[in-house]
Amino acid sequence: MKIPVKYNLRSLLVRRFGTVMTAFGIGLNVAIIVVMLAMVNGLDATLVETGESDNLICIREGSLNEVNSYFDRDKFDLIRFLPGVARDDNNEPVAVAEIVVGINRQRKDGEAANLILRGTSEKGFELRPEFEIVEGRSFEDGLRELIVSQSIAERFEGLAIGNTVEMHNSDWPVVGLFKTNGGAYDSEIWGGYEDISQVWQRPIHSSVLLRVDSPQESAQLIERISEDERIQLNAVSQDEYFAEQTYSSIGLKALMGFIAVVMGIGSCFAVMNMMYGAVMSRQQEVAALRALGFRRMSILGSFLTESAFLALLGGIIGCVLGSLFHGYSAGTSNFASFSEIVFNFRITPEIVLQGMIYAVVLGILGGFLPARRAASVQLIDVLRE
Amino acid sequence: MGSLRLLIKNVLRNKRRTFLTVSSIAVSLFLVATLETVLTELQNPPETPDSALRLITRHQISLFNILPKSQRAEIEEMEGVEAVIGTMWFGGVYKEPSNFFANFATDTDQFFQVYPDLIISKEEQEAFKTDRTGAIVGDNLAKRFDWKVGDRIFLKGSTFPVDVELTIRGVYSGGSDLGTTLYFQWEYFSELMNNAGFVGTYTIRARTPEDVPRIVEQVDGAFRNSSYPTKTETERAFILGFVSMLGDVQLFITSIVSVVVFTIMLVAANTMAMSIRERVREIGVLKALGFRSSQVLTMLVGESVLLSLVGALLGSWSARFLFGSVDMALLTSGFIQRFYVTPGTLILCLLIGLFVGICSASVPAWRASQRPVVDALRRVA
Repeated sequence: MKIPVKYNLRSLLVRRFGTVMTAFGIGLNVAIIVVMLAMVNGLDATLVETGESDNLICIREGSLNEVNSYFDRDKFDLIRFLPGVARDDNNEPVAVAEIVVGINRQRKDGEAANLILRGTSEKGFELRPEFEIVEGRSFEDGLRELIVSQSIAERFEGLAIGNTVEMHNSDWPVVGLFKTNGGAYDSEIWGGYEDISQVWQRPIHSSVLLRVDSPQESAQLIERISEDERIQLNAVSQDEYFAEQTYSSIGLKALMGFIAVVMGIGSCFAVMNMMYGAVMSRQQEVAALRALGFRRMSILGSFLTESAFLALLGGIIGCVLGSLFHGYSAGTSNFASFSEIVFNFRITPEIVLQGMIYAVVLGILGGFLPARRAASVQLIDVLRE
Repeated sequence: MGSLRLLIKNVLRNKRRTFLTVSSIAVSLFLVATLETVLTELQNPPETPDSALRLITRHQISLFNILPKSQRAEIEEMEGVEAVIGTMWFGGVYKEPSNFFANFATDTDQFFQVYPDLIISKEEQEAFKTDRTGAIVGDNLAKRFDWKVGDRIFLKGSTFPVDVELTIRGVYSGGSDLGTTLYFQWEYFSELMNNAGFVGTYTIRARTPEDVPRIVEQVDGAFRNSSYPTKTETERAFILGFVSMLGDVQLFITSIVSVVVFTIMLVAANTMAMSIRERVREIGVLKALGFRSSQVLTMLVGESVLLSLVGALLGSWSARFLFGSVDMALLTSGFIQRFYVTPGTLILCLLIGLFVGICSASVPAWRASQRPVVDALRRVA
């Protein structure tokens, strides 16, 4: 015979103060975990969602990233006329050779960080279909102009339209703000390839980005590029290239795991405290239940249910509090490119579910011993009291 | 003193509740101590007395930009400069990219004048300087990969299209890098790069602390209008520059600490409320016996402060003990070299305990102490 759940809900209501306090305690714990999950998810998603699977990015063999890749410019022609590279309406290969340099700029919080400055050209926009100018206009080749991603312009000093950036003794006006799909390119500054290559005195390419003619040919083209003695570059699909950089979040993940376990233990103690309080003050009730014929297992189950409900309430509070941080914009260092990456906290249904499961696990772990204590109440002892 | 005994008796009357509350607070403050240590380690990079005399010069635009080696001779001539070396981040990969560690190509002639804080024998210093493909490694790095003097290691270039094959000629300890770096000869590197003649940074040793600001001005002033403008800063500022790149992580950790503190407050407040509610009659009796309201209040708050302080002590000291006894470098494969819970952090934890103790008990204790005696005695708990 099962004890009605209503009994547990009412009991929680009787001890409202304790219920609310404990639920809030669990709630804050869940909120921290939910926000951390949202942060790691946002950071990873920003990288994972960058790039298309039918784009290939070619970097120097041995280099781990565009930032430390460079090679002779004549390789570009060797690559882009290979069979398997997509052509546009004018029969031009859909490929762009770019240069990537790093610049150290001050954030609005006063601290400095590296930013990627990418020298690109018209084809570079075409290869990133989500690219759009949101304010101002695009840069013009030869004029040493810059366009800045919207999120970087918001986060850093002196990168709004109308500002000029001094680099290598020349002034580069910011003429436009752009955005892509919210991926890694949204943490960059772009300018004309020739301008940057010239001023930096680096007559090289850092990477070649190209579109494959058809997805089936991707593997063949990758092989063709890496096996060509004259090219000696590594080609990877653009989405994989960025997905690999998610190791940047490994430290945050470790920290999150640590916090989830340690804080969870603290919360278990708090739940235990609360539930022991409930059990001890209701010994007579429990005895009465036993006298009415409810089995020990039912009583154990009933108190576990009560504890789980308490935790569930905490879970709801936590998820609601955590959700307030959805979309919160933050930035950290992308370890792969050693430069700032801006991302948004992202809460998904899976994260909410994880938060709720975490809460219920806390409730059941914390409630188990008190529930067992309740189940072991000796009828005779209590009635004699 | 009688009331102190009463206080302790009260704390011990419901042992299970006391145990659970103290444990909950202790675990939370263990977390606070850990997170605070993450912050202090980030904000206080390891230093030696010599690091205050060291300056690092990089390209003004960013570390990604290189500097011509010709600047070295100019810097060497400047007033207050005792020694200067050019170094280049090589970014070599040892077997797997995950075996990440710092490795630099460096000038060797004045290397040990710039780094007098490295502890290494004269013979090993000489062996390093004379072997073109020689290298020295920090003791912690050597331990991590089980390297010994004489071992040959291969580093695959990632930043540059060349690989190096090195022989370990010495192992140093001490130093502000905590023995985690590999240095090899810049000459060897430059040769492989077809004598490109560039470095990433210059490391300068000043003669006296007063020379430090003077050198910053001289170096940056001399190259301001050249093709290679520089930015010179102290070693500490340079390292803190990397920490600031972590961005919002620090703010985030601080926020977590505050939420954890607030959570402890809820737990403690709940315990005190439970414990006081059960004792309303008793408090009535105490007052009937002549205890003043203020005495009752002090006793109840004292009880809560005692619980929180014990929790804080246990939590913070166990963090200190735990992190002091495990090899963090081994545990995090070299990612964290030092993880020391400072006295400052211990004190902070105690203050948090005190604060939580006072705040959590104040409301229920005040209400209980103000309750009229008759009312309290009449109440059936």
